[in-house]
Amino acid sequence: MTYLIETTSVKMEYPHSDGVIQLYDEGVSLRVDPGDFVAVLGGSGWGKSTLVNIILGLEKPTSGTVHFSGEDVTRSSFVKRCSLVKTGAVFQRPTAIPQLTVGQNLNLALSMAGIPKGERDERIRESIAFFGLERITRAYPESLSAGQRKRIDLARALAIKPQLLVLDEPTGDLDTSASNLVMPLLRGLNKDHGTTILMVTALPRCASTAHQLLHLKPPGFITPSKRIDR
Amino acid sequence: MEKPSWAPFVVGGAFPREFTDLLVIAIIGLAGLQAYLTRFTVGGVELGFLTLFLTVLPTCTLASLSNATRKLREELALFAYGGSAWQVWAKHFLRGFTCSLIALSPFLSLEIITTGYSVGSRSLLLVLAAVLGGTFYSGPSLRRVRSAEFAESYKA
Repeated sequence: MTYLIETTSVKMEYPHSDGVIQLYDEGVSLRVDPGDFVAVLGGSGWGKSTLVNIILGLEKPTSGTVHFSGEDVTRSSFVKRCSLVKTGAVFQRPTAIPQLTVGQNLNLALSMAGIPKGERDERIRESIAFFGLERITRAYPESLSAGQRKRIDLARALAIKPQLLVLDEPTGDLDTSASNLVMPLLRGLNKDHGTTILMVTALPRCASTAHQLLHLKPPGFITPSKRIDR
Repeated sequence: MEKPSWAPFVVGGAFPREFTDLLVIAIIGLAGLQAYLTRFTVGGVELGFLTLFLTVLPTCTLASLSNATRKLREELALFAYGGSAWQVWAKHFLRGFTCSLIALSPFLSLEIITTGYSVGSRSLLLVLAAVLGGTFYSGPSLRRVRSAEFAESYKA
């Protein structure tokens, strides 16, 4: 059976001054079908964002494989993965091009996703209205608050109407009212539009929205002496 | 669906717009003036052009390294929008090439005019200096996006 995303025994090691930090001791094996809503729950420093980066192709795992639509993309870039599965990504740290306005950022993202010019304005308007960003369409990202920039990221990711939406702490940096808006929105996207969602979070309240839940374990630590014994 | 277009980002980034770009143009322009006026040769190599090349390389590298935090934010966003390392390279190459070409264009024009509208070796050396400017302007960015720490920047 072909899954939209499949990770098999993904592990990651990081060098550390006193040895090596090993994330995902037993390996992350995840199977995401089209239309799934998957949450990965874990504490701070347990490798949630690293897992997002591995799935998106921004970091390469130490071992294990990642498949997109049945194709092994473990060593492939984000661009290659997007060509297999149209993917929208929202990172923990807001990402926007500083010298472009909010509207221009959205327009560029849509252009890079191959959305026809005639459709872009409408999609931008929809996204901006949905996230209440009308007043800041012409503002530059650096003049905005962290919460506003997070909403821009969400608007940008949703404007391309992705098949797969990958979110790293989607409610991070948002105030309570904005945060309360995001989870029902994700539920609606998943239920009404069939968008597959993969989300990592430290908040059980957010994770409870998902159909499938993966608990990460705290990272292990391999000291240099143990490594020699191996 | 249209074909994904990276052109607005790459071409839009080619135009000099930062203060450091003006400095690059001024410094390379002065070195270009010296190269144009100096006709001393040592072992067949025109010293003026040697100075020009030696000026272009560090000037473009340093300009590219300046304001690295802002450039990193821009590169992170480009990747999040589905961009790739070569697009970042192309954007910075074009910027460095454009700055160098603007700085050297008066001398390039004069050279072409004085040689009867033919492209001589001195014209080619000036173009080569502009290409080197682009190459060295793009080097630090390419190194940054290919580094292991790049993806770490997505984490808060």
